[in-house]
Amino acid sequence: MRNGITRRRFIGTTAAGVALVGTSLPRTSFGAEKTLKIGFLAPLTGEVAGWGLPGLNGLEIWADEINAGGGIQAGGDTYMVELVPYDDEYLADKALRGAKKLVLEDGVGLIMMLGGSDAPAAVDFFTKNKVVSSTLLPSDLTDETLYHMAPCEVHPIYNVTGVEWLAENRPELKTAAICAQDDELGRPSVATYLAAFEAAGIEVVYQEFFAIDTVDFAPVITSMLATKPDILCLDTAYPDFVNFLTEQAFLQGFDGQIISCTFDFYPAVIEKVGTEFVEGFVFQFPDFDDPALNEPHINFPNPNGFFTAYEERYPGTWSAVSWEYAAIAVQWKAAVEKAGSVDPMAVFEAMKAGGRAPHVFGDANWWGTELFGIDNALVGDWPVVQIQNGKAVIVEYKSIIDWWAKHKDLMIKHFEALGEMWYQRKA
Amino acid sequence: MLQMSSQTALKSLGGAAVVAVLCVLPFVIGLYRLDVLIFLLINIIVAVSYRFITLTGEWSLGHVVMMGVGGYASALLAKKLGLSVWLAMPLGGLATAALAFLLAFPLFRMKGFYFLIGSFAAGEAIRRTWNHFRDPFGGPGGLARIPTPELELPGVGLIDFGDPRIYYFLTLAVVLVSIVVFYRLEKSRIGLTLHAIHWQDSLAESVGINIWRYKTLAFCVASFFVGLAGALLGHHITVVNPPQFSLAIMLYVLVWVIVGGTRTIAGPIVGVTVLSIVDERLREFQEYRPLIYGAILILTMRFLPTGLEDLPAKLIGLGRRLRRIRTTQTGS
Repeated sequence: MRNGITRRRFIGTTAAGVALVGTSLPRTSFGAEKTLKIGFLAPLTGEVAGWGLPGLNGLEIWADEINAGGGIQAGGDTYMVELVPYDDEYLADKALRGAKKLVLEDGVGLIMMLGGSDAPAAVDFFTKNKVVSSTLLPSDLTDETLYHMAPCEVHPIYNVTGVEWLAENRPELKTAAICAQDDELGRPSVATYLAAFEAAGIEVVYQEFFAIDTVDFAPVITSMLATKPDILCLDTAYPDFVNFLTEQAFLQGFDGQIISCTFDFYPAVIEKVGTEFVEGFVFQFPDFDDPALNEPHINFPNPNGFFTAYEERYPGTWSAVSWEYAAIAVQWKAAVEKAGSVDPMAVFEAMKAGGRAPHVFGDANWWGTELFGIDNALVGDWPVVQIQNGKAVIVEYKSIIDWWAKHKDLMIKHFEALGEMWYQRKA
Repeated sequence: MLQMSSQTALKSLGGAAVVAVLCVLPFVIGLYRLDVLIFLLINIIVAVSYRFITLTGEWSLGHVVMMGVGGYASALLAKKLGLSVWLAMPLGGLATAALAFLLAFPLFRMKGFYFLIGSFAAGEAIRRTWNHFRDPFGGPGGLARIPTPELELPGVGLIDFGDPRIYYFLTLAVVLVSIVVFYRLEKSRIGLTLHAIHWQDSLAESVGINIWRYKTLAFCVASFFVGLAGALLGHHITVVNPPQFSLAIMLYVLVWVIVGGTRTIAGPIVGVTVLSIVDERLREFQEYRPLIYGAILILTMRFLPTGLEDLPAKLIGLGRRLRRIRTTQTGS
């Protein structure tokens, strides 16, 4: 008699284990007769997952609340929401494959994307097949992306509000050094910051694009600090990158102002560098337990409750995108109810009707022809957020449209210089 | 002799049956699955061409980047120079082979681990070039809106290869051609020489074989076909960018080939097919993919060191052993 595990038993138990895992792990679905499917096509693994997975988490909380509340009413019918996620690993080929699966196999009514380098092929497919989709990066938009919209985040143009606020509140700051990752996230962001600093009368003394596969950020910060800037501007860069850059600034003894588009997972950074170092750090993405989100102009149901539910369910994973896809879903639900139909085109038209729509931070305009080639970006006010006593606090809501009215020539100049205007991106 | 010819006939019959099934498939499966199949066919070219390099005894980490070279070259020729896609695609393959020829000078001065690292370094240099130069490579965002092939046939009209069913047949044709070419090359004197270099390079050199020349030939032929695969990919998804050709993707190619086996040309085909199916079936557990791939790799190396291609033979052997044991037990 042989002791231990036999090969047959091993194969048998492995197969049983795989079958068990397959049946026991939770699936993002809801068993109901009438369902409305929302596709989620974003990176859920890999280095960009920090801007995908937390968004899906937030979206699941929203969907569960909607379904628990009886679903969505449209045209006399009740619909339960079903989320269909697809991990595109931030790769164009995977995104296209995911787009085809979500449209052709799953029949989703809306597809939410992060946007960026994975988007072009998928968005072309959406346009050809009249599929409504959303992005967080309006730099995906051109005059041809007819059904692709940016109804929540209008990266990176809201960055002007942070610089404007800084110039008003800390007029002693005169110079800035900028770094960003060298891709379609970083380049338009730098163009925006260059325009914003120029408008604010702040001299940019250093500017660097680092490769997206950079692993050592010490030289980047060393070069920036060599120019002795009053302001370090760190974005746009992946969440890990911003955190590494901040840690390097701390290690190299920087004691000035830091501004960034995002500061995701900042409590983890504070654990390393201390509260004092990040005090006053300015960025653009609030925690939703902020009392300023309870103001009447906010178009997001119970933001504080949403934050509490998120923290309970996914502790320590709150990021810039945790609320964004849910905010798009809120707008989309309102449009479904307004259209009285679940037909994607009818919902899309309801969303865009009248050129104005309820953006999460207040009613806003469908905008963007000059900068993005199409009025598919919903632009209005955006919050300026500051770290105060180790916590993100909204210090003011500022108008992007007002800034644009005064300084649009600067924005266009810097976008053109970096080849980021929509007609340049199309070439 | 008779047994051998009947074996060959059986193989030919099996091959014909597989091709027949592949020709029918696009008409019985949905468009999404068809798309998965197109990617699988492209990956078969990648895996089969990679195996051809391994015949020399060297393992490269730059193969996926070479695929990108073909994709970029074809895209640039079609998009920027306005060349016909039908011309751009083979030229993409040729450009890849030409670059492989240049790289062969430094790379084949190295062997084994040094070649592996050298190929990685060369690949990264190329990838960073695409990243760095926005003109003409488009920088990190790469090239988008790459034209898809079209064909005007008298009496038929315009055939748009943007239709996935038609593109599938184009890809299938290239796959079949590449398999035939690699099979014939391996069975020729060139293939025998490559095997000799693999197992006894010093001995091969001592009888007058120019090792560098043969390794370079294998590298260039494999690069031509993987470049063609890159062109097929680019013109299908209409985008090429550096992340598509990263080391992470290369590692998957290695796993396909190791799990499938390198003894025959069927090995990598089996490897990439099985793992692509596993990939699709386990899509919901994507975050565990590295774990699953790792487990498959370890299990294969432990229980099937020669790869899945030897699984049928192992199973037959196991069946025979069991039958023998049962017969012995019944007898006693």
